[in-house]
Amino acid sequence: MRKDVVLLVGGAQGSGLETTMQVLAPAYASLGYGVLANREYFSNIVGRHSYIHIRVSSSGEARPLYYPADFLGAMDAETVFTHWDDIGEGAFLLYDLGTARMRLQQIASMEPDLRSRLMQQYREAGIEPFTVEKVVEYLEREKRVRVIGLSFTALFDVLIKKHGLSRAQAQRFRSSILIGAIAGLTSLDREALDLGLQRRFGSRPKVLEINRDFIASVADEVEKEYGAQLKLEPAEPKSGEYVVASGNDVVAMGKVVGGVRYQAYYPITPASDESVLLEEFEGLKIDGESLGSIAILQTEDEIAAVSSVIGAALTGARASTATSGPGFSLMVEALGWAGKNDVPMVITYYQRGGPSTGLPTRGSQSDLLFSLFASHGEFPRIILSSGDHLEAFYDAIEAYNLAERFQMPVIHLLDKFLANMVASVPFPDWKAIKIDRGKTLFKAPTGPFKRFPRDQPLADRPVLGSGAITWYTGDENDEYGHIDEDPVNRLVMYERRWKKMEIADREIPEDFRVKYYGDEDAEVLLVGWGSVKIPALEAIERLREMGVNAAYLHLRMLSPLPKRRVSEVLSRFDADRVIAVEANYLGQASKIVTMETGFMFRKYILKWTGRPVYLHELVEGVLDIVRNGRDKVVLSYGK
Amino acid sequence: MASYRTEVWSDWCPGCGDFGILAAMQKAFAELNLDPAQTVVVSGIGCSSKTPHFINVNGVHTIHGRGIAFATGIKLANPQLKVIVNGGDGDLLGIGVAHFVALGRRNLDVTVLIHNNKVYGLTKGQASPTLRRGEKVKSLPVPNLQDAVNPIALAIASGYTFVARAYSLWVDHLKEILKAAINHKGSAVIDVLQPCVTYNDIYTAEFYKDRLYKLEDDPSWDPIVRDPSEDEEKKAAAIKKAEEWGTRIPVGVFYVNPLKDTYEERLAQRNPSYSIDNPPALQPISREDGSPIVGPDEFRKIFKRFIVNVKKL
Repeated sequence: MRKDVVLLVGGAQGSGLETTMQVLAPAYASLGYGVLANREYFSNIVGRHSYIHIRVSSSGEARPLYYPADFLGAMDAETVFTHWDDIGEGAFLLYDLGTARMRLQQIASMEPDLRSRLMQQYREAGIEPFTVEKVVEYLEREKRVRVIGLSFTALFDVLIKKHGLSRAQAQRFRSSILIGAIAGLTSLDREALDLGLQRRFGSRPKVLEINRDFIASVADEVEKEYGAQLKLEPAEPKSGEYVVASGNDVVAMGKVVGGVRYQAYYPITPASDESVLLEEFEGLKIDGESLGSIAILQTEDEIAAVSSVIGAALTGARASTATSGPGFSLMVEALGWAGKNDVPMVITYYQRGGPSTGLPTRGSQSDLLFSLFASHGEFPRIILSSGDHLEAFYDAIEAYNLAERFQMPVIHLLDKFLANMVASVPFPDWKAIKIDRGKTLFKAPTGPFKRFPRDQPLADRPVLGSGAITWYTGDENDEYGHIDEDPVNRLVMYERRWKKMEIADREIPEDFRVKYYGDEDAEVLLVGWGSVKIPALEAIERLREMGVNAAYLHLRMLSPLPKRRVSEVLSRFDADRVIAVEANYLGQASKIVTMETGFMFRKYILKWTGRPVYLHELVEGVLDIVRNGRDKVVLSYGK
Repeated sequence: MASYRTEVWSDWCPGCGDFGILAAMQKAFAELNLDPAQTVVVSGIGCSSKTPHFINVNGVHTIHGRGIAFATGIKLANPQLKVIVNGGDGDLLGIGVAHFVALGRRNLDVTVLIHNNKVYGLTKGQASPTLRRGEKVKSLPVPNLQDAVNPIALAIASGYTFVARAYSLWVDHLKEILKAAINHKGSAVIDVLQPCVTYNDIYTAEFYKDRLYKLEDDPSWDPIVRDPSEDEEKKAAAIKKAEEWGTRIPVGVFYVNPLKDTYEERLAQRNPSYSIDNPPALQPISREDGSPIVGPDEFRKIFKRFIVNVKKL
């Protein structure tokens, strides 16, 4: 029995991979296992290669992904060719016997770069001709991979006969082959599996029944033939109930709890799923009773989205937008207006691979400096970045609180990795959740109101319609919000805005903004932010087992950076033992740390392939720096 | 009656058409007895967009071209507010044209005033989207090569349900149209012809004086859609009328359709929790102790399909 199992399922976009994840994730979670699943895909609708990488952990926590995988389920030939070296010694490979004779040269959807790289690798390994069959033989022979060769056609034939389906209809059940094989190899509890199926197909009883039946037949056959070789130890659940959801989902949920009343967006990957989910719950209905309503607007462009969010925020509604790099670029001018006018607005920013459209469906952490410096002039903003799903949920709520309390825009940074990863998250702790509306006034004295008193950085904020009359302008303004270019007024008003940042820095607890994980007397310090937290926390455990006492410093708030606390931690380490770990080229967070503390980083582990930082490569990277004295390790694992 | 003037000095050029629009707004607001606290004037950038500072109601002076987009958020979050947008023709029909079109598509209950002087005044007289091809106003070194957009035709094609033209020096006429526009339920636009005394030496008060005539003086002109079956015909007639630009230029109401649902109504139909009586901006989001109104039990019910109970083995 094993503590963890790592599964990889691949196929053409649209071939049932998502279904496989949607069924398996709640099934394992219902047994108390921790589940983390990442989806990698091209910017394409149907046909290009896509895969899902899942780790199921008996620890009960969603733990980071690594390679090699224990199981590869290939829906097509391309998956076998592409992921042949992603599985380890003795792993299982499921493939369709019908693809055995397919040649690498026939895979039209494969990128030419990958094809020629694979040809080179196959030649070196002595795999010729380049057929699925030869790759499979090689894996069996050289890596003792246990091959589950199934004839998908024969399986569909049974299905066609038994349920009177057409061939096209039968093929829609192809995800059941993967689910069945995985269920058999891991000896997945059938009731738990059924719960997963109910969730996915509950509304379509006929489809549910066929899936159930088909999965059971594949699972029984696989378990009989190969044994439950990937059976997991009983789980140690971290919660009696889990939320099983993607990063986009948990942020939407956080917004609902945080009281979102207005969200505007323009469609963009990987952000729109959040707004689409919110729209589904716009009525906030429970047993027919409504708790309120969320006005959600799909706008004509990102400029309209952010501008309307500012308008809504001025009325007192908790208002936000969700976007990614190209969309945020368009929002920058309005961001400055919000910063200038003390507007509590939230921008949820899912980073993807740039520059320009870059890698539209892949992840990165390369927009931190852009978030910090975007827009002209100087104005305060809060930048909050979540490290995992649970943080993302709390941060979605806290972003509104911080925006209203400190009267400035909040940028909530996430990345595509987190956005699209599905995780089992322990049910949140409501004791930790408070709504703080700062000095927002819904009833105010009538007449012209000094919205910007010179001696009060954080003034009362009567909303539009509160009774007061207020003015706002993008120009420099007087206490009432009227245009005022007087140099002395300028001096005071400019400083007044920045004083809010000093107050925020003083009042937001440091232990919320930065967290140290590991021994106080560790010898190596990893410094990271965002979803780097996921692999980093287990990496320090693994490193300890290997004799390297490492700790991780997680930066959750990048503006204002808790510089006193960060400096104090950094000062305890030899600079050669401090490693910035980031999914970008420049080490962007390390630049902010240097700017704020003067600490010069010398060691970097960086990745900018658009694929997540995997646990195994992070551990290897740290060892390379610690043992070989390397200054910079560039990670590149992943397809 | 509340005073709709502020103490703020307006720094427009002497003789600017903006003064007429400002006066008409102040008079219209007074005659409609608008509650200043429940009224919001939103603007973009440019001479005309300074208007909110001179009116004693809430004012939101935003960024170039985005007045309508800001107004959209204000109105949707709190549909109880009266929202009026001011902008130049460059602001609303150049940089902001996507928002101008979108407002019509939505028929959100917002009134838009286009200060149309056919130039970009505050940046010293460049050609705006309503200057016609071949025209060379004072500050242009060479004649304009781009065709003009017709604000009336564009508004009708975009879905505005109240479309009018006025002249800034006919303050009382503009005031009456503005009152009708504000009272109209749905997106309203008034294209206000306005001389720019500094940069536009073609479209002067002199130019307009002999050409303008009022649509209402023609007894056969009826812009109002009284039955959905009339809509197509009234739109076509209005667009045809809007093409009239020469020795005679019509001002007045071109098209009104009071029968179409506003965006607020469409939203309330789809989502009965959304209503003008209980707008999103004013709904409670927390309980007295500061805990969120969506507590753990509510969360479990709303997001049921994401929650997995761990089976006791």
